[in-house]
Amino acid sequence: MMSHTSTMAVMDAESSDGSQRNQPLLDVQNLTKKFGGLVAVNDLSFQVDEGEILGFIGPNGAGKSTTFNCLTGKHKPTEGTVTFRGEEVTSKPPHEMVNKGMARTFQHFAPLYDRSVLENVALAYTSGKVFSWSGLFSLSTITGTTYDAAAEICARVGLQDDLHRMPGELPHAGLIRLELGRALATDPKLMLVDEVFAGLASGEVEEISNLLLELHAEGMTLIVIDHNMSGLFELIDRAIVINFGEMIAKGTPEEIKNDPEVQKAYLGGEEL
Amino acid sequence: MATQSAEDGSAGTIQLLRQNIPPRYYVGFVAFLVLAALPLGLSTVKILTMTAALYFAMFVVSWDFVSGYTGQVSFGHTLFFGVGGYTAALLNLEFGLSPVLTVIAGVLLTTVAGLMVGFPALRLHGHYLALITLLPPLVLIRFFSLYRSTFGGETGLPNPDNLIEVQGDFAATALVNYYLGLVVFAAIFLIAFVITRSDHGITYTAIQENEDAVSSVGINPAKFKLFAFVMSAALAGFAGAMFVHTPIGSASPSQLLELTVMIEILIAAILGGVGTISGAAVGAVFIYLARDYIRGIDTVVPILDMPVTRMDTFLFYVLMLGMLFFLPGGLLPKLTVFGRKIHARVTGGSPKAVTDGGYQQPAFVRQIEAYRTRILEALAALLRRDSK
Repeated sequence: MMSHTSTMAVMDAESSDGSQRNQPLLDVQNLTKKFGGLVAVNDLSFQVDEGEILGFIGPNGAGKSTTFNCLTGKHKPTEGTVTFRGEEVTSKPPHEMVNKGMARTFQHFAPLYDRSVLENVALAYTSGKVFSWSGLFSLSTITGTTYDAAAEICARVGLQDDLHRMPGELPHAGLIRLELGRALATDPKLMLVDEVFAGLASGEVEEISNLLLELHAEGMTLIVIDHNMSGLFELIDRAIVINFGEMIAKGTPEEIKNDPEVQKAYLGGEEL
Repeated sequence: MATQSAEDGSAGTIQLLRQNIPPRYYVGFVAFLVLAALPLGLSTVKILTMTAALYFAMFVVSWDFVSGYTGQVSFGHTLFFGVGGYTAALLNLEFGLSPVLTVIAGVLLTTVAGLMVGFPALRLHGHYLALITLLPPLVLIRFFSLYRSTFGGETGLPNPDNLIEVQGDFAATALVNYYLGLVVFAAIFLIAFVITRSDHGITYTAIQENEDAVSSVGINPAKFKLFAFVMSAALAGFAGAMFVHTPIGSASPSQLLELTVMIEILIAAILGGVGTISGAAVGAVFIYLARDYIRGIDTVVPILDMPVTRMDTFLFYVLMLGMLFFLPGGLLPKLTVFGRKIHARVTGGSPKAVTDGGYQQPAFVRQIEAYRTRILEALAALLRRDSK
């Protein structure tokens, strides 16, 4: 089932166009999420291949974050299945999804305001086991080497000069970097990036875009949510567009731009 | 090591931190020695008071372990002292079981009680959690007064056997039980201290800050919350069970279960510094002795025209209100910051100020340093002007 696992580690962006693989990294089938009478996500099916950047686009309230929450286990889907790396993972709790290799960032940032940037990232290196000698009875296992690893992650997301700052001291873009850093520290195969471009100045959009492209070049598979398409088209290989919880279009950025349904959904709203 | 840190900032700093045991650890060690030497200069009555203070400190430490760290604020930790204490006392009084066995039984039953409260507590937050934890000890008190013949009602159960008894010598019994209490206190303190300084502690405080962040790095917050709750209950039950087997303690609502006990625990923890363990212990001993001291003052309060002994509870609560108002962050965190400043001045500044990538003082310390510099500069300016 997981025959290509070993090749994942050595693959690079060029060799991973997805066509030669018979099995997608993430396979979502007929995902439906209802809150009482409200259908937030309706019968959504899509696949993500290894090594691609998928754009996940839709106007505000279209159901993008709800879909993310269903994929990452924060919500239980009402119907449908989620298959990740060949394994059915529907409704698994968030921490298990992370341990299986699916990390996410939060649209509403979730840093630990009581500790430094470095310590935020280093949380990923704690033992995580309740009953273990190192977790319980040794002084913290966050040692020199793991702090170094955390510092490396921080450098990778551009926080090398902010290691000992508190999250409250970071600018908006810095908090986004911290979200990305904490997700990266779990060594994910797939990163779900929720609305990172909201509230950024155009220069910062480019910086974060470049950061995501660098991760992509290193072999990371990404799903990037945004309600605003213009920022995303430079970045993504392919996109799906949802509105009112249903998929209304999918394809390359060019195809999406010219899709009449998409134009209708965004008419009078935001420009493409 | 020093040269290494120049190139490899963070790795070197960690080593530096590891080799520098903070001075406050030595202070703690000395405090323990003082506690050990204390009975030499105290009367038997005072020794008994100190014993009770130590057990009160264990209660507060057990509360701080879960509520101060994970942020699951329990208003009903007295339930666990009660279950531990009453189980031990009843088994000893009714069935003649030896105190060693009754204490084990008490701890086991409190662990079960911890699970029973800890599980629903996983899904509850804020006011709801407060209420859910507040009620069980009150239910227990009512239940005990309904079945007064078994549980002794409001007055509680008669004294069970002491764990260690020196036949015919009360003073010696009191002394031995003080040292026993000190050993139990040290054990509970060390368990709580070491766990909260391990990865568990880091995870607990992270849970208090943001549970989503914890699960987003692949850690199950529920597992840690439940463990903290049950561990805390077991520590509390252990202290409760041991307490009833001392000459000063008994299984009675006023010592173990009543709301006022819980309130004093909260005050002690907040005054000592929530989420520190050591602060909880210091706060508890301080509060207990302050309470005892006020109770013993015979002087008549001038305007109110009433002896202090009659209004001790009133005065105690007013005093606590004032202290909470002026020391909202707790006594020990404040003392730690103060101590660090002294230490920095004595050692001629911190050696940890490294350039880029190296260790920097935490933000609040830097802030305090900035204030200090500003005040010193202002003082210097004043002095210069005066000398002209």
